[in-house]
Amino acid sequence: MVVAVMVAGPMALGRAGVVAAAAAARGLATRAGRPRHRSPLPRTPWTVRGPPPEVLAELAEPRSVREQVELDTVTYAERLHYVPGLARPRFPAWDRGWRDPWHTPGPRYEEMALYKERGCYICHQGVRMLEGVRQAQWLTKTKLVEGLPPAVQGILDNPALGLQELEERAEHMVSHARLWDTAEVAPRRERYCPMLFENLIHICRLMSGKFPSLSKRMLARNCRIAATWERESFLLQVRGLSGILMNSMTPIPPVASKEEILATKEHVLETFYPIAPTIDLQEVNVYKELNDTGFRDGYPYSHPHTLFFLESANVRTDRFRPEQLRAKMLMFAFGNALAKAKALHGNDPKVLEQPVVVQSIGTDGQLFQFMVFQLNTTDLVSNDGIKNLVWIDSDQNLYERAQCVPEVKKRVVTKPAGISGFQPDTFKKFLALYLHGTV
Amino acid sequence: MAALGLCRAFGALLLSAGPRRVRPPPLPSGPQPWLPGPVSAPAACRGLGGSAPRCTTDPLWKCRAKYTVRPVGMKKTGGRDHTGRVRVRGIGGGHKRRYRMIDFQRLRYEEGAPPEPFTEKVISVRYDPCRSANIALVAGGNRKRWIIATENMQPGNSITNSPHISRMAVSASEGDAYPLGALPVGTLICNLESHPGKGAQYIRAAGTCGVLLRKVNGTAIVQLPSKRHMQVLETCVATVGRVSNVDHNKRVIGKAGRNRWLGKRPHTGLWHRKGGWAGRKIKPLPPMKSYVNLPRVKAVE
Repeated sequence: MVVAVMVAGPMALGRAGVVAAAAAARGLATRAGRPRHRSPLPRTPWTVRGPPPEVLAELAEPRSVREQVELDTVTYAERLHYVPGLARPRFPAWDRGWRDPWHTPGPRYEEMALYKERGCYICHQGVRMLEGVRQAQWLTKTKLVEGLPPAVQGILDNPALGLQELEERAEHMVSHARLWDTAEVAPRRERYCPMLFENLIHICRLMSGKFPSLSKRMLARNCRIAATWERESFLLQVRGLSGILMNSMTPIPPVASKEEILATKEHVLETFYPIAPTIDLQEVNVYKELNDTGFRDGYPYSHPHTLFFLESANVRTDRFRPEQLRAKMLMFAFGNALAKAKALHGNDPKVLEQPVVVQSIGTDGQLFQFMVFQLNTTDLVSNDGIKNLVWIDSDQNLYERAQCVPEVKKRVVTKPAGISGFQPDTFKKFLALYLHGTV
Repeated sequence: MAALGLCRAFGALLLSAGPRRVRPPPLPSGPQPWLPGPVSAPAACRGLGGSAPRCTTDPLWKCRAKYTVRPVGMKKTGGRDHTGRVRVRGIGGGHKRRYRMIDFQRLRYEEGAPPEPFTEKVISVRYDPCRSANIALVAGGNRKRWIIATENMQPGNSITNSPHISRMAVSASEGDAYPLGALPVGTLICNLESHPGKGAQYIRAAGTCGVLLRKVNGTAIVQLPSKRHMQVLETCVATVGRVSNVDHNKRVIGKAGRNRWLGKRPHTGLWHRKGGWAGRKIKPLPPMKSYVNLPRVKAVE
C-alpha cells in the first residue's frame, strides 16, 4: 500500500487527512491508497516535489546577472521610446553591414599570423630595468669587471699619441655646446647633448690624420637591431632603434685573455629573489624570432664598434637614471654582438673562438658611462659554463658646472660664468675607446 | 504639425542629439508649381524652453581597466555631482594630484601563478597625495604594484602574502598579509576586508590599527579604530602592523592657505547654536557589525 505522500504544506495535509478521516467515519468503502495512473503523473505541486528541471538546471549553472536581469525585467525596447518605470534595454551593437577599412577593430592577438603560445620578453629602448645592471647581467650571462680593460688603459697611458693638446680643444667644444650655441640665455639639453657628442666625435675624427686606419669607420643613426636568445626557459629579444652606432671594417681584437675567459666558469650569476629577472621587460605573444644586425651582407663596414646613447630629454623624469642607462647600454651592446656572432658563425649555441667585442658610451651631457662588452659564448640557456665579460666605468663627469650667467649673491660673484671643473680624463677615455681597435 | 514641432523640441533636449545642422529657410523663388495633393506649409513651431541637467563631469579618468604603476591624471569634481550642482560643500581648488592605482587585494596572484604563499620586496616608500597614509612600491615575480605602507616599512624589506590557515597561529612580522584565522589573537592589523577577496576597505588611514579580539568557529572579531566590533570570516586577509605616517594627526595646519592647498574650502562663519558640536559625547557602543551570512535553509532537492 502506497503511503499517502503529504506535500505542499499543511493545507493539503489537512484536506487529505480530513477526507480520509471523513470517509473512514462514514464507513464508506474507498479504494485503498492513491489511484495508480498508467501514464506518468501530471506535474502538479502535489505530485512532484521541488522546482521543475529547468529551474534546477538554472541553479546548477547560474546565468550572469545581466542575462538574468534582461530576462526578468520589462524594458521599453518594444515601445521604441522611454517610459518611466520600465528598465533600460541593452541594444545589440550596431553593425555597419560592410567592412570600412577606416573603422574596423583590427585582428585580435590570437588571430594574427605570428601569434605564438609561448610568450617572449622584449627589451627595447624604453625599458627601464628595476634591478639595473644586475638584471642585465643575468639576462646576458655576463660577469662584471670594474674599470676599463687593460688594452684601453694602455691607450690612455701611451704618451706617444699626443692626447694633451686635445684637452684644450675639448674644453672649447664643451663651452661651445653648453654656452655659445644659442641665441637664448642657455641652450636646452635637447640641443647641447647632441651638439657635445658631435663636437667630441669631431675631435676624435681629427686624429685620423695621424692614424689613417681611423677613416675606416662609419656612423649610423636609427639603425634597427634584432637579436633572440633563450635564457633558462625564458625567450628574450632585443629589438628597436639602437641609438647611434659606429661601425668599422675590421673587428676589435678580444680584450680578455684566455685565462680570464676560462675563469668565468666559476663565477655565479646573482639572482634577486623574489623579483623575476624578466621584470619590466615587455611580454608579447606576437613576435618573430629574428637575428638581424641592421645591415645587409656585403656591406664593407660590417663590424659594430661603439654604441652611443644620448639622454637628451629636457624633463628629468624622461631621462634614464645612470643605473638604468648602464643596463640599457649592456643589453644593446649584447644585442649587437649576438646578432653579429650569429651572422658570422651561425645560429647554433656554442663557445666562440673569436670573441666579439662591442663598446658602448652613454651620456646625458655631463655624466659619461663607458662600457666594453666581450661576447664569449652564444650558449646562454644554462647558468653555468663560460660567461661573457663586461668592463664598466661609470659616472665620469666631464665638467662640474657650466654656468651661462654668473651667479651673484649679495653683490659677490659666487659662481663665475663658464665651464668649471673640466676633467680631461673623461675625454681621454672617450678618445681611447674611439681609438681602440685600430691603435 | 504641432506634434512635429513638439518632437523637435524634445529631441533638442536629448543627450544623444548630435549637433543639428540649421537648414536654411527655403528661398521664395517665384511661383512654385502646384503639386497635386495637399501641400503643408512649414509649420510655425515654437521651441520648448526649459533646461535639463546634463552630466558635466567626465568620469572617464576612472575607467582604466588595466593596472599600471604609473600615476594617472585625475579630474577634480569640486564637490559637484553628475548634475553639476554642489553636493558636498567645502571641496574645491587645491594642488593638482595624480592618482596612483593602489592594489588593496594583497592576495592577488599573477596570471599563471598558483595560489601559494609568495614574497615581495619593497622597492620604495613614498607620499601619496590622495590619502593620509604613505604608499609602498613592491615588486614580486614579474609585476610591480602599490600597496598601503605599514609603520616600519623600509625599502629592501621582504613581505609575505599567504592564504593558508593552520592550527598554529603564525608569528607574523609587520607588513605581511595573512588571513585572520592564521594570526594570533591580539595582533594589530590594518587593511581589513569585510568579505574574502573583496579588497581592503577598513583601517586604511594614517596611523590606524585594529585589534584581533577573538576567533569564534570560522569567524574572527576585530575591533576597529572607532572601537566598534566587526565580525568577519576568518579567511578575510588583513595586513599586520599599523598604517604608516603615524604622526599625521599631530601635524599643525598652521594657516588657512594650507587647508586651501589640500582642497578644502572655508566653512561659513555662522555660529549654529544647536549644532551639537561642543561638549563631551557619551554614547553606548553600537552593536557588533557582522559580515558573516548565516547559513540559509535551502528547500531544493
